[in-house]
Amino acid sequence: MPREAEPSNNAKAFLLQALRENVRLDGRAFDEFRQIDLSFGDEYGVATARLGKTKVMVRVSSEVVKASADRKFDGVFTISTELSPIASPAFEVGRQDQAEVLLSRILEKTIRRSGALDTESLCIIAGQKCFHVRADVHVLDHDGSLVDASCLALVAALMHYRRPDFEVRGEEVQIFDPREREPIKLSMQHQPFCVTFGYYEDGSVMLLDSTLLEEQCREGEVMISMNRFGEICQIAKYSGEPVDAMSVLNCMNVALEKVKVFDKLVKAKLEEDEKRRDVGGLMAELSAENAR
Amino acid sequence: MSATILLPGEELPSDSLPKTKKGTLTLGPGLRHIPPTSITATTSGSISVDNKKSAVWLENTNGRYQPSTGDLVIAQVHHGSTDTYHCALTPQTPFALLGQLAFEGASKKSRPHLLSGDLVYARVSRAVKGEDVELEGFNSATGKSEGMGQLKGGMVFEVSPAFARRLMMGSKGGVKILEGVGEKIRFEVAVGRNGRVWVDSGNVRTTAAIGRLLTSSDENAWDVEEQEKALKKALKDMS
Repeated sequence: MPREAEPSNNAKAFLLQALRENVRLDGRAFDEFRQIDLSFGDEYGVATARLGKTKVMVRVSSEVVKASADRKFDGVFTISTELSPIASPAFEVGRQDQAEVLLSRILEKTIRRSGALDTESLCIIAGQKCFHVRADVHVLDHDGSLVDASCLALVAALMHYRRPDFEVRGEEVQIFDPREREPIKLSMQHQPFCVTFGYYEDGSVMLLDSTLLEEQCREGEVMISMNRFGEICQIAKYSGEPVDAMSVLNCMNVALEKVKVFDKLVKAKLEEDEKRRDVGGLMAELSAENAR
Repeated sequence: MSATILLPGEELPSDSLPKTKKGTLTLGPGLRHIPPTSITATTSGSISVDNKKSAVWLENTNGRYQPSTGDLVIAQVHHGSTDTYHCALTPQTPFALLGQLAFEGASKKSRPHLLSGDLVYARVSRAVKGEDVELEGFNSATGKSEGMGQLKGGMVFEVSPAFARRLMMGSKGGVKILEGVGEKIRFEVAVGRNGRVWVDSGNVRTTAAIGRLLTSSDENAWDVEEQEKALKKALKDMS
């Protein structure tokens, strides 16, 4: 059974000594994120987020399915996360390990259960037809902070995605090709982001955006998801040393600041992408003139 | 300097053989002799020639470390058994064996006791395809440690195997960082061919800064000028 290689004793001791002296190995401040990079693919709904060396790609797609009997007015939204060996040799195909369970649970809680995506707007004919929106999270490179990066990429991809337009005539539903009618943005109710705090030295040191080595050495972590209004979607603390309640309150203030930064970043990048796609308005699009 | 690049299966052109008359030709990593006269590449890479040693090998920047005899490596002890330590050279690869007595002055009564996770600067004494790689913590010909043995304290940084090799080549490798820092600051360093560099300066801040210089130089493929620029800035911050 493959697993992540343990860091050496020297590395562990050094990292902890460095944290005691207020030094981080990559020279960042304790509450500083690595370089965040967000890019969109040519298709709608493909977003890639990078946090330092961590790289996550999310692809959102949709299809028309039969609505479930007990939720007649809702569409379906699923998030699928699979960690493959491309991210790290410690991940195996077909075997769920703890990191994967944790990732999918947090994403589920943060985005699906918080009602970030308005599933009612995905309904076509109540009880009969609805859209099934599916988000596939692909972790391409793993260097810590998987949850934060995945959450960022997922929200960005959902905001970027456009579903096909449709028209209902009696019982008949016509789904329009993107070329026939402009696809429509998903309706999002809010944009939650996740921020993970790592604890060291009995909770006296708190790190944001840990690298893989820092993750392997930490005593415990608290994951907080909230939107830019400071509404908390979930707080998770699955293992590790107990954490002081006051410090969790402190975490929330820090998280709010970071979430606001994420929110701004995603919006700025979406705008940038929109500009790139816009060839020059309707007239340019309708023109039959060829560039010679 | 224009380097000739070979792809796997290509033959080594005879004009790129080392230009020495004496001695036997030594083939380094990536090349294979197919009797009687042809030498073919087993990986892709650029041809490197050392005329003095009458050696030729392929340089490439990709791939994980493949042990070969005589390499100095930084091994991490995974677990010990009755007479050997099982050490990881690279993650997710079979363990290399390090004899418990393969240290300077080690006897059955007095020998270093290594725990899981300890680091050892060792030399690959045997690397045969299909068999376990063997390591030694001293020069078995002379019985002297020659700088090898357990690495205590400090920090180990991961770099690419190609960069580690450049570091070991000294000034010829085109990496000026270690010399540059060494002029101002006293520190210990051990470079392992398996892409690990151990640095200890006794001070956390400086050790981390040296490590950062090395890893970012490797990742961003800095040339000498860029290295010197970063070095100046780092030295200013350190003092």
